[in-house]
Amino acid sequence: MAATGQLTRKAAGVPFDPVTMLRVAIVAATLIVWEALSRSGWFYRDVIPSLWSIAKAVYALLTQGTFYFDLGVTAAEIGAALLIGGGLGLVAGILLGGSRFLSQAYETYLYYLGPTPKIIFFPVMIMWFGVGPESKVALGALSCFFPVALSVAAGMRQIDKVLIRVGRSFRARPWQMIVKIYLPAMRHPIVNGIRLGFGVALIGTLLAETKLSNMGIGFRIINAYSTFDIPRMYAMLIVLFVLAIAVNALIGRLGGLGAVKR
Amino acid sequence: MADPILVVDDIVVSFDTTEGPIAAVDHVTFDVRPGEFLSVIGPSGCGKSTVFNVIGGLLSHSHGIVSVSGEAINGPHKSIGMVFQEESTFPWRTVIDNVAFPLELNGLPRRERNERAKHFIAMVGLAGFENRYPGELSGGMRQRVSLARTLASEPKILLMDEPFAALDEQTRLLLGDKVLQIQQQLHQTTLLITHNITEAVQMSDRILVMTYRPGRVKRIVEIHLPRPRSSDIVSSDAFGHYVAEVWSDLREEASRGMEDAERHALGTAGEAS
Ligand SMILES: Nc1ncnc2c1ncn2[C@@H]1O[C@H](COP(=O)(O)OP(=O)(O)OP(=O)(O)O)[C@@H](O)[C@H]1O
Ligand SMILES: [Mg+2]
Repeated sequence: MAATGQLTRKAAGVPFDPVTMLRVAIVAATLIVWEALSRSGWFYRDVIPSLWSIAKAVYALLTQGTFYFDLGVTAAEIGAALLIGGGLGLVAGILLGGSRFLSQAYETYLYYLGPTPKIIFFPVMIMWFGVGPESKVALGALSCFFPVALSVAAGMRQIDKVLIRVGRSFRARPWQMIVKIYLPAMRHPIVNGIRLGFGVALIGTLLAETKLSNMGIGFRIINAYSTFDIPRMYAMLIVLFVLAIAVNALIGRLGGLGAVKR
Repeated sequence: MADPILVVDDIVVSFDTTEGPIAAVDHVTFDVRPGEFLSVIGPSGCGKSTVFNVIGGLLSHSHGIVSVSGEAINGPHKSIGMVFQEESTFPWRTVIDNVAFPLELNGLPRRERNERAKHFIAMVGLAGFENRYPGELSGGMRQRVSLARTLASEPKILLMDEPFAALDEQTRLLLGDKVLQIQQQLHQTTLLITHNITEAVQMSDRILVMTYRPGRVKRIVEIHLPRPRSSDIVSSDAFGHYVAEVWSDLREEASRGMEDAERHALGTAGEAS
């Protein structure tokens, strides 16, 4: 399995192989269609701005200090949400996965609550934590708690039992069992949970920012929209999109390090 | 003769199954002397792994006492090192970090534990593979890593549960040689669980034959073959004689096991139709 993974990865690294060409083709096609629609005049002014005006807006955005401030605010909110929600999710997952009793009692709740859109709790978060970043962190943390907890609980049950017996036979203390056996044995489900958690924390935080706030990327996007600065809105969406992909790839890379080695 | 280092006294283990409690191990008593190599042999399902887990302190028993150097055990004992039947290396650790694992648990500083780990890696013939991951090794090499890891904890008693069962014949023979060599070099007290007669006769001072369900001690056979031994001994007359002797004891039990399995298969087939 590992070997085929390496092979395909190598094949993808060749500059002009079919896969890369298909990838480039779809991006190019999207850009061409976009530009054609923009020039067609079928849409109301600026609904589909020209590529050039978007490029200019991206440039303006990236050379502007205020954008980075908002980006920082949002990133910090998401980071805090991941830390809090992911940390609690990890602990909850270990408890649920480790005890059949607890999992029977609570895990169904998690399954039902997990996919429920957490934005419905935003009014509650505002009441508890105010309109500032705290309520966004709370919503993001709530969002990412569930996938991390469920993923870790499942991972905990999939640990090769013999590895636990090895630890016990060497008389590892409970703390050593967790740090040296349970956590590394669950590295793939944990990374996977964090990846899913990052996605929903991003959604939760941005959505909350668009609803009620005075800073952050979500706020700026909705602001650009309501002042009809559509190129700028698209510019922010593009930058955000690229960043989200980059972070996802980074998380995957971190978890993938050991994956090649069985 | 020296006092036994390990005493298994009247152990009973029963499991709750859907058909009620069944006795897997029934009043098993034996002992192991310091420096001795004892094999436990018996047909599949006779309770060998159960005995192994009880001695290792990983499974509680309903009756009897296991004691090490006169002290009754209560959970995993520091003088006992276990090598498991299943693949048990940590896939996220390199060979050296796998072998250093027990030393790491004891808080040995990195440099020292690596040095000692290297020593045991060389002993099982894996020098040069220190920085590989288990996924990059063959099954036989991984089993050697497990063995080195257990040896690194320097147990007074080495317990092994069919460590070579999953390997091909040639690898098994060569690994058997390695174990013999290590055992003779360290004067390691060893308890080997196996269902391979040749392996048992080749390595052991004594062989304990277990009965099939419930698992009892059928007989203990003393093997008076000269040491040091290697796999060459397989061709000697005395060797063949011992193999025949153990097989005559084991045959009855093994065929009872087969009949049982057939009856079971027929029974379930009958239910299904
Ligand atoms: N956890 C368990 N629950 C119920 N029955 C069990 C359990 N573990 C083992 N048994 C039963 O106890 C008996 C002895 O099992 P054990 O694993 O000790 O056999 P074994 O001699 O090691 O077999 P093998 O050579 O196939 O490894 C078997 O009949 C098995 O079905
Ligand atoms: Mg077994």
